[in-house]
Amino acid sequence: MSETKALESMIGEEYKYGFTTDVEYEDFPKGINEDVVRLISEKKDEPEWMTEFRLKAYRAWTEMEEPSWFNATYEKPKFDKLQYYSAPKNKPKLNSLDEVDPNIRETYEKLGIPLDEQKMLAGVAVDAVFDSVSIFTTFKEKLAEAGVIFCSISEAVHEHPELVKKYMGSVVPVRDNFYAALNSAVFSDGSFCYVPKDTICPMELSTYFRINNMNSGQFERTLIIAEENSHVSYLEGCTAPMYDEHQLHAAVVELIAMDNAEIKYSTIQNWYSGDEDGRGGIYNFVTKRGACRGKSSKISWTQLETGSAVTLKYPSVILQGDNSVGEFFSVAVTNKRQQADTGTKMIHLGKNTKSTIISKGISAGNSNNSYRGQVKISKKADNARNYSQCDSMLIGQTCGAHTFPYIESANPTGKVEHEATTSRVGEEQIFYLQQRGLSEDDAISLIVNGFCKEVLKELPMEFAVEANKLLGIKLEGSVG
Amino acid sequence: MLEIKDLHVEVEGEGIEILKGVNLTVNKGEIHAIMGPNGSGKSTLAKIVAGHPEYEVSKGDILYNGESILELDPDERAHAGVFLAFQYPVEVPGVTNNTLLRESYNTIAASRGREELDPLEFDDYLRDKLELVDMNPDFLERSVNAGFSGGEKKRNEIFQMAVLEPTLSLLDETDSGLDIDALRIVADGINKLHGEDDAVVLITHYQRLLNYIVPDHVHVMIGGKIVKSGGKELAIELEEKGYDWLETHATVNGEAK
Amino acid sequence: MALATRIEPSILHKLAKYAPESENSVWTEIRTKSLKELNSTAFPHRKIEEWIFTDLRPIVRTDFVPLEEAGTFPATDIEKYFIPESDRSRLVFINGKFHEKYSSIGGLGKGVTVGNLADHSDEEEVQKYLNNLVNYENDVFVQYNGLMFEDGAYIHLEKGAKAEAPIQVLNLYTDAKNPFVATPRMLVVSEEESDVTIIEDHIGLGENRYMTIPVCEVKVKERAHIHHVRIQRDSIDAIHVSRPIAYVEKNSEYHSYTITLGAKLTRNEPRVIQEDEEVDFTLDGLVLIDGEQIADTHSVMDHRFSHADSHQLHKVVVNGKAHSIFNGKIFVRRDAQKIDSFQENRNLLLSEDGLVNTKPQLEIFADDVLCSHGATIGQLDPEEVFYLQSRGMTEEKAKEVLTYAFALETIENVKVESVHKLLIDEVYRYTKANSESKVTV
Repeated sequence: MSETKALESMIGEEYKYGFTTDVEYEDFPKGINEDVVRLISEKKDEPEWMTEFRLKAYRAWTEMEEPSWFNATYEKPKFDKLQYYSAPKNKPKLNSLDEVDPNIRETYEKLGIPLDEQKMLAGVAVDAVFDSVSIFTTFKEKLAEAGVIFCSISEAVHEHPELVKKYMGSVVPVRDNFYAALNSAVFSDGSFCYVPKDTICPMELSTYFRINNMNSGQFERTLIIAEENSHVSYLEGCTAPMYDEHQLHAAVVELIAMDNAEIKYSTIQNWYSGDEDGRGGIYNFVTKRGACRGKSSKISWTQLETGSAVTLKYPSVILQGDNSVGEFFSVAVTNKRQQADTGTKMIHLGKNTKSTIISKGISAGNSNNSYRGQVKISKKADNARNYSQCDSMLIGQTCGAHTFPYIESANPTGKVEHEATTSRVGEEQIFYLQQRGLSEDDAISLIVNGFCKEVLKELPMEFAVEANKLLGIKLEGSVG
Repeated sequence: MLEIKDLHVEVEGEGIEILKGVNLTVNKGEIHAIMGPNGSGKSTLAKIVAGHPEYEVSKGDILYNGESILELDPDERAHAGVFLAFQYPVEVPGVTNNTLLRESYNTIAASRGREELDPLEFDDYLRDKLELVDMNPDFLERSVNAGFSGGEKKRNEIFQMAVLEPTLSLLDETDSGLDIDALRIVADGINKLHGEDDAVVLITHYQRLLNYIVPDHVHVMIGGKIVKSGGKELAIELEEKGYDWLETHATVNGEAK
Repeated sequence: MALATRIEPSILHKLAKYAPESENSVWTEIRTKSLKELNSTAFPHRKIEEWIFTDLRPIVRTDFVPLEEAGTFPATDIEKYFIPESDRSRLVFINGKFHEKYSSIGGLGKGVTVGNLADHSDEEEVQKYLNNLVNYENDVFVQYNGLMFEDGAYIHLEKGAKAEAPIQVLNLYTDAKNPFVATPRMLVVSEEESDVTIIEDHIGLGENRYMTIPVCEVKVKERAHIHHVRIQRDSIDAIHVSRPIAYVEKNSEYHSYTITLGAKLTRNEPRVIQEDEEVDFTLDGLVLIDGEQIADTHSVMDHRFSHADSHQLHKVVVNGKAHSIFNGKIFVRRDAQKIDSFQENRNLLLSEDGLVNTKPQLEIFADDVLCSHGATIGQLDPEEVFYLQSRGMTEEKAKEVLTYAFALETIENVKVESVHKLLIDEVYRYTKANSESKVTV
């Protein structure tokens, strides 16, 4: 059908962020062993406890098996060929924006992320991570006035060791899974955020991740702590150049929300997804987990996943505190040979805990798009509630949509509701909209946007435009 | 304005002929009613004029303002002023009426070389039109037809017609599923919208609607053909006699089933 | 895959040496093949995705013996399990062995064959289909059944034949001194435009531990209709591992209803495989469990061609320390367009110590389909309980009535009157027993 072709061509829009930046890198050996782990720690001038944390994780990792239970097939990363640390040759610490490598600054400008505070979107603080190293964090001072700490995780290790020591690995233990263990051993940088008691973070926080170096894996680490009665909203964006080789991205994100605290974490993921034949593209194997430690705390994940060759990602919430709330809103678009296996886990431990899952999957081309989610109501989670809705839309004859919900309840007062549908863009819908004057392209774009609306509206205002633009890039083009 | 010449239509790919030589001329300022029993091909006629992809013209032509529109896509026909009020309006979850109408209005405006309206201007424009079909402004923020009652869907179609200001409106069984009050509102709306420069084709099973909208011409369609045409009195005759006498007539002619 | 040489022998592997001899070449071939496969297949464990929630200890920790050494007690009072509609069409198996004297065959007239598989081994359909329809990946239970079965139910309908009465396949399991394993077998071939209703009943006569592994193969040819009711009333300590598989051809219909009431551990894996366009099938289930029962349903609805209507309503009530597991897979293969598939899993968790795991699963590879599933776990709606209380019922009574109503929906479509009544009685007995044992809020 022609509308299928139209939509395929729309989703198949060329990747716009595929350029590379010419930067000099520090030399670093390839492959991994204890010495490499020590060397990373040494490069970063880390205290002993951090080195030990890494070594413990490394040893655990060597005993673990690479997982294979998910719905994706790909060539396994060659862990001995990877470079585990990649930092632009630069001064270890920057005092002002002028000291940032002009090439890197230009990169961020091309991506539409000006680091210059003057040009910033009002109210958004940015931490820019280039290959695994935090390049510059904006609005630091203004945040500091409010008492909010927002810096690179390397900096936090030095400046706020007590916080990092206390919380890092407390939500995602080093042995949690294969990729989390690897990350714990070799993570190079990432963002750190601490919002003290009774504080509303005065602006949106944002990190942009960019993989540039061809052979490097990117292993960043994010840690966000929201103390009692605090609130923070955080957004990450991701892009990478186009290479024929696959690159590994194995991040760990940990969120901790205390009594009445709220963390909203949004992701716009647009890593390079590889070409028509599945050459190149990022392996996005990420562990993201939040702990609602406190009473009436809330953690909300929103994600717009459009990139990567293979995505394995399950942002989760452990609902420990009574009356705590977990949310997961996701749009995943796959095309070409992309494979996405993504979803969430909602683990209800506390009483009256509530979770909501809204997942929208759109598959086109030769791609496979899987929702995999777990909802668990434990024995003590009296009156826990979950509502899940997982909808898939298929475009064309050569893609697949899969739904794997795992639901468990051990408490009779708990209530779980799960619904899933699979459908297509209807011919009648397209005709109806065309009859009202819209082109086939616009009709399809409108339908897809409508399909994703419940999720897109969860993105912070400042980024809604950006999200629409990204969907636009994926969903605009000429009619075939 | 609309000239249909010996139109033969099949379901695409299936070779089943639904329209078997329809001739119809509609001039500016006229109201035509096409009546007929279920399965006679009335709805198909409306859809094919709007360019529905499911049907294929195997013979004949459709001229609009003197030019054939057979090769035009549905949206191009809409730009040219053709409007179809659907018998079964389609639901588009997540897309608000407001969004749809603004997109529609502006693309049509652009194609006609008119100014597009900004959101505020458009909002004012919509509110005037809402009154015409007696609809609550809340309804603009609801998803297109999703969760609407049958009557609401039909009123929404007429509302869209009011907003888009077409020159040729094909109203496919717009009266079905409406209670008497809703029917009156819809009919009043259509009467107000209709003027000297546009034409309306009503497709209906019953004469009921024609008590409110007086047609200039009435056609009876049976078995894929127009078997009888006349003035408004034909509708009344049909109401009394049903379609049977015409069906016999069609069979005698040996062309329809 | 584990290497053949590294297979840890399970109880089924150990019992393999007791496989019966047969002079019949069809049986010999099946046994040879089954033994070969069994020897290279490991017994499942909980690290395998398909068994992740299922406690296999009742099997693993039991020293099953060959039937001959079990010290079985004679079966008495068998007649009370006969359904009146099938007085001319009944097959009775005790511990998997055919008993002609209780059976009634040949009463359905021309075109309908009802008998013991072993007596029909010469027939073309038996040679063609037996053990060739069963399709479970590396499954020790299927292999074991293939190795061990001697008798079995055979139902064949010629072209256009309509069985005028339902056929009852009654499987009885006797009390015994030692735990034994039974391997009931069934083959149903319904030729073009034929029509049959089958009541498959499994009943434990004692309260003893035994394991039954029924394997059932069904072929529904063009425009044929099969109505298949499966009732599991095994002994409270039994293990029931069943493998019913049906292939549906063009314009055919297959409607299956499985009611799970008994057994300590049940693992039921019904599968329906579409073989051509325009089919309609149902795979409903009702599970009522209590005490320490574990009931696990892993179903597959495999859509391989365009135009299918399929439905699955799986309802579960869990009380006591019981554990229910459901994994319902819906596959829609490439090019299988215009599929309308609906799956619904509703779980009523009544007790604090009960556990429900559910994993409805959609795997779709075609775009013009409408597939949906829904799953819920919860207790009775407090509003409904309150409503009934406000109409004068006690809380217990209100819950009993609501549980009863919840369960009843799945058996409404059972069209054999006495069976429908029997099931209503079973549902009633379950809800009554539960309301008496005080349903927790």
